Amino acid sequence: MERYKDIIPNFEAFKAVLHRPLFNCCRINTLKIERARLLERLDEKGIGWRIFDWYPFGLKLDVQSPGKLLENLLGYIHIQEELSMLPPLLLDPQPGEVVLDLCASPGSKTTQISQMMNNQGLVIANEPSLARVSPLRSNCERLGALNVAITRYDGRNFPRGSFDRVLVDAPCTSEGRERRGRGTIARSNRKRSLDLQKLQIGLLKNATRLAKPKGVVIYSTCTYAPEENELVVEKVLDDARLERISISGLKDCPGITEWSGETMKGDLSKCARYYPHINDTGGFFVAKLIKN
Amino acid sequence: MNSSEVARLWKSRFGIPEKAFAGYRFFRKAQSVWMISASDLPNLSYEALGMRIMNLKDRPWKPTTCALQILGKHATKNLVHLNESQAMTFLEGKSLPVDTNLEPGYVVVLYREEVLGCGLYSRGIVISQLPKERRMTSCS
Ligand SMILES: C[S@@+](CC[C@H](N)C(=O)[O-])C[C@H]1O[C@@H](n2cnc3c(N)ncnc32)[C@H](O)[C@@H]1O
Repeated sequence: MERYKDIIPNFEAFKAVLHRPLFNCCRINTLKIERARLLERLDEKGIGWRIFDWYPFGLKLDVQSPGKLLENLLGYIHIQEELSMLPPLLLDPQPGEVVLDLCASPGSKTTQISQMMNNQGLVIANEPSLARVSPLRSNCERLGALNVAITRYDGRNFPRGSFDRVLVDAPCTSEGRERRGRGTIARSNRKRSLDLQKLQIGLLKNATRLAKPKGVVIYSTCTYAPEENELVVEKVLDDARLERISISGLKDCPGITEWSGETMKGDLSKCARYYPHINDTGGFFVAKLIKN
Repeated sequence: MNSSEVARLWKSRFGIPEKAFAGYRFFRKAQSVWMISASDLPNLSYEALGMRIMNLKDRPWKPTTCALQILGKHATKNLVHLNESQAMTFLEGKSLPVDTNLEPGYVVVLYREEVLGCGLYSRGIVISQLPKERRMTSCS
């Protein structure tokens, strides 16, 4: 973790916040219930909630086991980390479009995309791991996502398409999840990041190929390692350009442009980094690319 | 499977109007029927298409709970309205006596106008058909 001392602002505050657990968060699933009605139900049950400053369908819940709520079993809400709701928002899918979610399981973002499209158009949710297809299916069914088709390709070889938008929510070292369970940062190291980097570059390159011209590609991870973030995005900048990210109510830090003494090409500062001590969340990285 | 064949079955059991099925495509794989929003499907190899809505293996055919939660609000017959304590029993996956006159078979189970899921009714008893992972765990 000390290797991030120079890139994470206010490093002592960062280390301190890792000991504090996160709020339980959920997304209101408007495919099944109106937002106002859901909030009313929580009030009737005396469950405390607070809407995110940056997203009207995200809630912090003051409850021990939100997964056991009837509202969750009936698919009115979906338990989802706060910043996990950010990539779909940046992807900005529209009803009627054709969207690819290249690394989909368990489908938190797939179902959010489906909700944003109001079940119209098509979401291809790709997940190679057979074991992880069943939670993906189960979440889609519980949440009433009716415009989702599931495929099982290795994302690097997903064969063809001309998608309006592609999301790459890549497998990563998950350092940003430290507040959900201690030890992910301790287990993470540069070697593991470099192993994953090969896969991540393969995924993002193929995603860029699969987007139609001017199509949007979002690349996200929940880790801090530049090897898995900016250094992956850098590899597709011949085929796509970065767009600056700015979400009102959520503070981001610019992507880094120098690492281990090397300067990266392109304007990677347009990527966004989110740190746990800044918004009281987990840690996250996102890049928004527009294909040439 | 075409939309009107599917709609006919749901209409005869639950009185759901055919228009509730407009805008979807249906696929049959083995004994299951799947429903997905209508749009062109790119030429890919698919693992699943939309939502599994019914199983034709059993006689009578069986609707899934997730499909009833979407389509059941249009149902006009074979509905069972529960009170709060009955709803809890149903949500725990158990059977409960109900005082209604229904045709035996699958029913739409509701509480406060909201569809909870699928039940199997016969001779005064509704047996909860909620899948295990959608059940409430009882506190005792
Ligand atoms: C960070 S998780 C995705 C979380 C998901 N997007 C959500 O919001 O619920 C990464 C996923 O990528 C999958 N994955 C691993 N290798 C892959 C590959 N070669 N191609 C596509 N997906 C892959 C993993 O099985 C895992 O489910």
